[in-house]
Amino acid sequence: MTSLVLTLTETLRYRGALGQWSWVLHRITGLGVLLFLVLHVIGVSWAVFFPELWEKEILIYQHPLFTIGEFALTACVIYHALNGLRIGILDYNPKWWKHQQQAAIYVLIGTVVILIPTFILMFQHVLKHYQSPEAPFIVSLAFIAEAQFPFLVGIVVAAVAAVLVSSVVGLFTGGGRASADKNARQSHHGSQLERFWWRFMRTSGILIVPLVFGHLILAHIVQGVFEINLINATIPGVPVNEALGMLANGINNSGTAVEYVAERWNFFAGPVAIWRLYDAALLALVTVHGFNGLRYVLTDYTQGSPLLRRAMGYLCAMGAVALLVVGTLALLGTIDQTMVDMARAAQDAILAGG
Amino acid sequence: MDVTFRIRRFNPEVPGKNKPYWQEFTVKNVEETDRVLELLHRVKWEQDGTLTLRRACAHGVCGSDAMRINGVNKLACKVLVRDVGTKIQIEPILGLPVLKDLVVDMEPFFDHYRSVMPFFVNDTPVPADGRERRQTQEDREKFDDTTKCILCAACTTSCPSFWANGHYVGPAAIVQAHRFIFDTRDEGWKERLEILGEPNGVWRCRTIFNCTPACPREIQVTKAIGEVKLAIQQRKREGIATPVGPIAVGNG
Ligand code: HEM
Ligand code: HEM
Ligand code: SF4
Ligand code: FES
Repeated sequence: MTSLVLTLTETLRYRGALGQWSWVLHRITGLGVLLFLVLHVIGVSWAVFFPELWEKEILIYQHPLFTIGEFALTACVIYHALNGLRIGILDYNPKWWKHQQQAAIYVLIGTVVILIPTFILMFQHVLKHYQSPEAPFIVSLAFIAEAQFPFLVGIVVAAVAAVLVSSVVGLFTGGGRASADKNARQSHHGSQLERFWWRFMRTSGILIVPLVFGHLILAHIVQGVFEINLINATIPGVPVNEALGMLANGINNSGTAVEYVAERWNFFAGPVAIWRLYDAALLALVTVHGFNGLRYVLTDYTQGSPLLRRAMGYLCAMGAVALLVVGTLALLGTIDQTMVDMARAAQDAILAGG
Repeated sequence: MDVTFRIRRFNPEVPGKNKPYWQEFTVKNVEETDRVLELLHRVKWEQDGTLTLRRACAHGVCGSDAMRINGVNKLACKVLVRDVGTKIQIEPILGLPVLKDLVVDMEPFFDHYRSVMPFFVNDTPVPADGRERRQTQEDREKFDDTTKCILCAACTTSCPSFWANGHYVGPAAIVQAHRFIFDTRDEGWKERLEILGEPNGVWRCRTIFNCTPACPREIQVTKAIGEVKLAIQQRKREGIATPVGPIAVGNG
């Protein structure tokens, strides 16, 4: 961990070129989006498992603090995506690397150019919400803290568990210190795993761009977060069809976030539930990419200790598996009318101040 | 003109100086074409004989006086006052243990250098005429850039991945490996790619690009690292390395 402190302070002091700051931003934005992803996938899964909690979560997303966070999240995704593409393109074309400084500038310009119209469109949803005749409902900070606290506990528990597992493994394998013997003439084998991950980070990045941009366009531009639980609102990406049942007609009849998810996941184009498929692809790619990125970051700063280094690998693997399982189970689940009614009741109770 | 130095000092043997601290010196009658190394000499010879630094050739060939000058790694003997102004901050390079003042322990750096087999490998008999192994000019061009390295460590110690993790083999060792990997006459390239394909080999490079502007020889360091990565990815060395054209990122 001393290496983390040293790297942080000296990165601020070293007068590196633009690429140094691109890296800092890439790292921070990647980690920021990953943190959101963990809260988000677990949150969405509640639509299936604990309808009241998902209803509550969307009310929290409508708090002004989260609105600011949402703008930041969008900026993070866009910067990280463009800079990731820059890294990938230059990595596969070393001969173009004399343009890297310019490319880093184009990434910044591109981010701003995309962000300006995006922010204007997003802000219109915010304005509309706050100008509506009924006073907008804002949950209390205590309410938010209570709902988000379990996540903090979960992350701490996972980290402690990873360190414990790593100590046990260390007991059986001699702690990995043997290989530190400098005089031992080792034979070298390139790591096929690292070779794979390097390629994966770049190819998954390219696939994630359209998926996550599409997802954000539906959730932020076509409609805003405020419309997710708006009664009688249409559902983005789901055509209105009155002939279908209440949970598949393209209209949020109950005005609940739970029905919103139900509508999206019940939409079939021919035999295919395309939004489930879409979310599954997004889930798989983003989770694996994000947690491998986290592993890169965490193992950078824990090379001094075999125990911690291993623990960080386990932590990331556990995190990825847990998130994939939760997200997939949700995608395979069904949402019925009783769950929507439960969500409606929960929303009414909160709005009534209960 | 006068120049003010702010120098990072450390002496493990003297109580009170065994924690890094800053000390200022003013050097008078300086020409703008004076080199920073000469001025450090004047500090040492005229003001404080205990100031400790490494240098030998004073002409940018031996690679012993890399230091952090006004925040960036440079060779003191190649930098003129004109280039850095009259307020000059000097620190040892980062990521290697400081022994005294500006002198760092280079052994970990050389360990990484030795780990990549930085020597010519070819066990086949020499050609029948008993003279050199021939190579086309185009083939020679492909690694010309990386033959210029003087092992000053400016690149490796400018890299945030190396600051974080001293086990990372680092840019300089990869540059040295590049010089042999892409030499058509060399036969050790496969083994070198195995060595550099380890978790603390090239994969720790995050394309941050601090190393290229740090190199006093204007070697395109990040490009060289990228070519080695591709050679490992594609398990071949043909068609990867390209000659360096006009240099875009100089040692400004
Ligand atoms: C504040 C911004 C966002 C909002 C309001 C939002 C909203 C939603 C909603 C309503 C769903 C439910 C299903 C659906 O409508 O398709 C969902 C699912 C999902 N979202 Fe987002 N999203 C946001 C940002 C993101 C970002 C940035 C990512 C990627 C990093 C992401 C990844 C996912 C994934 C993977 C699922 C599927 C979850 C599962 O499998 O259970 N979302 N999102
Ligand atoms: C939108 C498209 C995306 C692209 C093109 C992209 C691309 C990249 C690339 C090229 C890297 C560098 C890997 C390396 O240095 O070997 C990277 C790292 C990373 N990405 Fe992404 N990524 C994208 C989306 C995401 C998302 C949605 C997340 C969060 C869930 C994420 C989290 C990370 C993290 C944490 C890192 C590690 C940063 C580091 O090592 O400094 N990325 N990404
Ligand atoms: S590549 Fe350049 S900066 Fe790095 S050690 Fe060689 S000469 Fe010094
Ligand atoms: S003293 Fe030899 S390179 Fe500067």
